[in-house]
Amino acid sequence: MTINDGLLVMTKTVLEVDNLSVEFPARRGLVKAVRNVSFQLYEGEALALIGESGSGKTTLGLSLVRLLPKTARIREGRILYRKDGEEQDVLLLSREGLRAFRWRECAMVFQGAQNAFNPVLRIEDQFIDTARAHGIRDKDKVRAEARELLRRVHLDPDRVLKSFPHELSGGMRQRVLIALGLLLKPQIVILDEPTTALDILTQRSVIEVLRSVRDEFKFSLIFISHDLSLAAELADRVATVYAGKIVEIGNVFDIFEKPRHPYTQGLTQTVPTVTGELRELISIPGSPPDLIEPPKGCAFNPRCPYASERCRQEQPPLEEVGDGQFAACWNWREITERKPL
Amino acid sequence: MTQTTARTSGPSVLMRLRAIATSFLARRILKALATIFIVVSLTFGLVRLMPGNPIETYTFELMSQYNMSYQEARDQAAALMDVNLDAPLYQQYFEYLGKLLKGDLGNSYRSKGTSVVSYIKQFLPWTVFSVGTSLLISFTLGVTLGMLMAYRRESWLDHILSTIASLASAIPNYLIAIMLIVVFGVQLKWFNVTKMRGSLSPGMTPGFTWEFFADAFYHAALPITVYVLTTVGTWMLSMKSSTVQTLEEDYVTVARARGLSDGRIMTSYVGRNASLPLFTQLAISIGFVVGGSILIEQMFVYQGIGQQLFKAINARDYAVMQGIFLVITISVVVANLIADLLYGVLDPRIRSGKE
Repeated sequence: MTINDGLLVMTKTVLEVDNLSVEFPARRGLVKAVRNVSFQLYEGEALALIGESGSGKTTLGLSLVRLLPKTARIREGRILYRKDGEEQDVLLLSREGLRAFRWRECAMVFQGAQNAFNPVLRIEDQFIDTARAHGIRDKDKVRAEARELLRRVHLDPDRVLKSFPHELSGGMRQRVLIALGLLLKPQIVILDEPTTALDILTQRSVIEVLRSVRDEFKFSLIFISHDLSLAAELADRVATVYAGKIVEIGNVFDIFEKPRHPYTQGLTQTVPTVTGELRELISIPGSPPDLIEPPKGCAFNPRCPYASERCRQEQPPLEEVGDGQFAACWNWREITERKPL
Repeated sequence: MTQTTARTSGPSVLMRLRAIATSFLARRILKALATIFIVVSLTFGLVRLMPGNPIETYTFELMSQYNMSYQEARDQAAALMDVNLDAPLYQQYFEYLGKLLKGDLGNSYRSKGTSVVSYIKQFLPWTVFSVGTSLLISFTLGVTLGMLMAYRRESWLDHILSTIASLASAIPNYLIAIMLIVVFGVQLKWFNVTKMRGSLSPGMTPGFTWEFFADAFYHAALPITVYVLTTVGTWMLSMKSSTVQTLEEDYVTVARARGLSDGRIMTSYVGRNASLPLFTQLAISIGFVVGGSILIEQMFVYQGIGQQLFKAINARDYAVMQGIFLVITISVVVANLIADLLYGVLDPRIRSGKE
């Protein structure tokens, strides 16, 4: 379900992640970066994955296009991609199938677009390269398409296409990468920290660009960020990730207005409100959990003001707590409003 | 138009001069010329600082060979060598420089009537051929294997190749040459060392014939093998570390995300960027191609410039020594100059900085 102009519209699922777990071997043991994550991405919606750094959200994003570092192991799970009534498990794709899937079906715009381009090739050639990798050999057509897209992201195509990456500013490169991401009209775009390395004004223009291209191209968007205010602006739904697990997922209004997981609640309280409403900002006490040996029971229990004995023993499952809102907390009923300060 | 030029010729000449002084290319060329001049002057002095002089050396040679008396030998040596070594050094120096500017490197002291230029013309091609071929092989092989090692790092292949590379680059080339001759040539008799000597078989006439090229390669095979064996390791290890670094770059991951084929990523994304740092090294090596290796050419009796340099040093043949050093200097300096310019072409980040 997604929210369009305040109306609830039933839509199709384009991506379904089912019980995905990813591990990295480290000296001390296995780093459980993603633990039994399941979620669905609906057609045309924007889903934000929010969490502190080290929560496993980037690993989750990378595993969707199978770009994990060599050492990573996908222990279990399925990633089902749906298009035109057909379903494929991304994890079972052949080498060639995977190559074709990347960018054409699912483009990933990385954090730190600063180094996303080959320094010795002109931007134009990198567009042509991408198209050619997916069987489009008509260079003039690609050029025309690239021009159109660059104009969409408010760049001067004549200048940008002939430039080498180092001749563009960070914000420009980020926008070029977004334009490149849309070149093959993918069904899904993943943005990993799309604005993190940018100054505040450039961030703004990138956000505006993202909004306008999304309205126009109607792709589904997953974006990964630690920045809740960005999520509030761009997302239809928000999922909070803690210690490699999705601890709460729901539509953006519910997540901000009535979070049912203490971690989400903590996160929303770390952000100043846009309306300037007076509210004391609090930070979540404690530090992110150890992903090698996550705390027993609920991973958040050592930092949680609501933690009970049960939380220290048993892991809470994701439970439906409202209309399309799910939270993994034993005590979600207690978290009905903001904790009085 | 002409009038305007005439009237503003004063400032425009000045501006042009300033443009030259600030132009990257002009500055580099001036620097290169200055380097050559300094090295030429130093060489002139240094070869004369060696104990003995051409006449002296030849005198002793004649004395021991023909059992002549000192005076007799000395007269004959002096007569053969039409040079005045007693003239003041500065006079000799300016005379040398004057001739040099006209492109005249003088005549060999020892072989009367043979100009140094003709010497170089005769022997340099063989050295350039053998060392150049080996550099080409060594660089190509090293870069390929280095990339392979980086792609398969921590595999058994990487470990084996790394060990071989470090070992091969650690052994001096003359030791490998001796090993080749003694073990494979003399003991195992895999090839005929005596027949492979020289740069061509007797009676072979240079020309664009299959026989000529086959013969040239046959005779150069051993020196080339030694050069390749001793230099390929460095290329491999440099390329490996450079590739490992490049593989970590974001743009390589993004290229994968873009669905580019592995081959395209390996050549245009990884290979091209990883080999950039190697080009300076390559340029320097190209510069030294003309120098060849005295020891190796000596050992395989390969008639290249290195062997001639060895002979000239023994005979204290100043003219030939200076000539050969000059050629080496020029080629090293020019190779570096080209490397500087080429680097800008290969790496656009540098190009825009210098424009």
